[in-house]
Amino acid sequence: MKGHFKFFWVLLASILLLAGLSQTVFHAIPGSAGPRSPASLSSLPLDTLYSLLRMTAAYLISLLFSLPYGYYAAAKPKVGRILLPLLDILQSIPVLGFFPAAVFFFVALTGGGRFGVEMSCVFLIFTGQAWNMAFGVYESCSTVPRDLTELGHSYGLSRSQLYRRVYLPASVPKLVYNSMMSWAGGWYFLIACEIIAVGPVHYDLPGLGSFLIRTTEQGRIADTFIGLGALVLIIVAMDVAVWRPLTGWSARFRYELAASSLVRKEGRRRHERQRGRVNRRIRLFYGRVFRRRLKHAQNQFWERIVRVRLRSERVARAGRWGWTVLGWATSFLFVLLMGYALYKVALALAQPWPAEARRIPLAMLYSTLRMIVAYVLALSWTIPIAVWAGSSKRIMQIVRPAAQIGASIPATALFPIIVILVINLFGGMNLASVILILTGMQWYLLFNLLSGVESIPQELKEASQSLGLTRWQRFRRLTLPAILPSLITGSITGWGGGWNALIVSEYLNFSHKTYWVPGIGAMLDRATYDLGNITLMVLSLSTMVLVIVLLNHFFWRRLYNLAAERFRLDL
Amino acid sequence: MGKILELTNVSKSFPYGKGSLPAFEDVSFSVEEGEFVVIVGSSGCGKSTLLRTIHGLLQPSSGVVTYQGRTSQGVNHDFAMVFQSFALLPWLTVIQNVELGLEPKGYSAQERRHKAMFYIDKVGLDGFEEAYPRELSGGMKQRVGLARALAVEPAILLMDEPFSALDALTAASLREEVMELWKDREIPVNTIIMVTHIIEEAVEMADRILIFNGHPGELCMDRPVQLPRPRDRRDRSFSEIVDQVFEAIA
Repeated sequence: MKGHFKFFWVLLASILLLAGLSQTVFHAIPGSAGPRSPASLSSLPLDTLYSLLRMTAAYLISLLFSLPYGYYAAAKPKVGRILLPLLDILQSIPVLGFFPAAVFFFVALTGGGRFGVEMSCVFLIFTGQAWNMAFGVYESCSTVPRDLTELGHSYGLSRSQLYRRVYLPASVPKLVYNSMMSWAGGWYFLIACEIIAVGPVHYDLPGLGSFLIRTTEQGRIADTFIGLGALVLIIVAMDVAVWRPLTGWSARFRYELAASSLVRKEGRRRHERQRGRVNRRIRLFYGRVFRRRLKHAQNQFWERIVRVRLRSERVARAGRWGWTVLGWATSFLFVLLMGYALYKVALALAQPWPAEARRIPLAMLYSTLRMIVAYVLALSWTIPIAVWAGSSKRIMQIVRPAAQIGASIPATALFPIIVILVINLFGGMNLASVILILTGMQWYLLFNLLSGVESIPQELKEASQSLGLTRWQRFRRLTLPAILPSLITGSITGWGGGWNALIVSEYLNFSHKTYWVPGIGAMLDRATYDLGNITLMVLSLSTMVLVIVLLNHFFWRRLYNLAAERFRLDL
Repeated sequence: MGKILELTNVSKSFPYGKGSLPAFEDVSFSVEEGEFVVIVGSSGCGKSTLLRTIHGLLQPSSGVVTYQGRTSQGVNHDFAMVFQSFALLPWLTVIQNVELGLEPKGYSAQERRHKAMFYIDKVGLDGFEEAYPRELSGGMKQRVGLARALAVEPAILLMDEPFSALDALTAASLREEVMELWKDREIPVNTIIMVTHIIEEAVEMADRILIFNGHPGELCMDRPVQLPRPRDRRDRSFSEIVDQVFEAIA
């Protein structure tokens, strides 16, 4: 029985792998794609598959990256002192800003053609996914209870045994959780990449994003909505078939912490009951499809991944060697790539600077102003909604799922429709740009605010009621200070999302017309796609990164520390 | 003296799944002005819910709460509550926390400050006005909670397990202090309803003990305590009452 299912999984994996490989190779040969009617409805399933393949490839690379990175950052303090700040900076950089650079780099590396664009797309999604996952692994590895590592040492486990028995399982819950977030973020970048590729880069990457933009360009709005429907369907299907079972499975690696109050325990029990119900439904679904044995097979499979048994000391030593060699090889490759990139940058900066470079500070200012307007707009609807949702459990039960549905659609997928609406009806590219930034910002704010509102202790609410505080007094004295830390966390992540959206929202290529507003995102795009000036591209990119890193370090970080200190809700 | 509060057949249940989960059922009793009433019961029998229903933080599912001859509806701002977890706002100083309840009552800034200082002094926290709650020990935090409740000069002071989050020694000294504040003629508060699961605490403090039991909670015994004050726990009559109450609950 067992062998049967192992065979099934191996088969499934190889089919997926083969499909992915053949498609990639197929597209690696320039011009071999053959004539395909652009964005016909019949190509939608294949387009969806392409997008899914890109996502999967990027996710697997992210997984390979984040496991060792997070572990070494946590387990080796010396290495961690470099790895952690690096991760912090990488995380705060707007990934999409690097798309032009990545296209340049990979196209140059592969000698042109679609393969280079494919690679830069996967690379971009990877950079959107990996940091968050690596942080998750780092956090779990650094919070492994001391008792457990000491136990490992006292029983004489080797380092790799300790890793497999303690650190790897400990990383699982957080890794799964962050993977879900990363995967959701991945959709955003995937669609953005495909849109940019179709637009200014003029490469047709078949996928959902290009399908959406092509159909809107041709005015086939009904088809656009079908494409959006397919996207939502895929997202929901992934959630039900992959992420929920994975989350359920990952719960077994969680260290049980003693619940401090009865109420919380009761709440958790209710939560577990609910989760149990959902899981049962999923199991029923699987049961129908795979005659119920799958659950067992699945458990066996996952368990085997974690509990790789070392058969003898010799194998163990060989394994250790393997890991070391792999580690060195990866590091070497990484350094090589970085070196090449740095060399290119230096080369670009050594060229005489173009006259446009003088306009970079002003462009940066315009973009920042646009960000501020979008931020104020986002605050002006998310705070009232969050406060309203916090006023009763019933309202929260409506608002939260509604927000989840809204946020599950990657904002970039809505870009074509927003653009066609705003530009055609109101004619303002500036307005369109701000709205597009808003779509990249608002959900981070809303979700953080909702969890902030929910974390206000019941007794504090009762106290404010008991003392007869008016609605305004309650907002000013209780709700606002209580949600301030979440507001700032939400603002930091929201601004991160906003910078990303900025790149795709200041410069748009739509049915052979280019719309743009002066700003750093537009500067970057124009430098790459219109002028082909690497020096200008490098200059604007580094200006932007510098401003963002400084803003994070000197403004947001300080604000956060201040809020965390004064407005913490420990009683 | 006279009846200040009366509960008639009060029940409370919460929606649960498709049906409802009763917290307590059919509770009737009355409280005289100047009385110290303690409600005792094991955890989960709905006594905290009862206290919140008296205050009006929760609405009774059936039955009536009458305050000074009138049916009370909504939160009764003639009452004030002391919470188990202190419920202080961590971002406000001690004096700001105490002034919080005076703000909605329309006192001027000067009056607020004056009143707050008076009660901070009464609970023995003078000198700590500008401290933040996190800088205080548990016992001091609950003193702030007490000062905040006393400052609104409520007709009835409600206390929900006010000493349960404190260590035994701190709890003992704070209990004594509450008894002194209750007797203090300078403080208008003279009616107190307290909820606790510690029987000795009830016998030490109460004029009357209401014993609450079962799921859903029901009032199963109404016992006056007429021992002279201050009461000594080692007293034979003291431990007899404790035993009686214990038997009624168990």
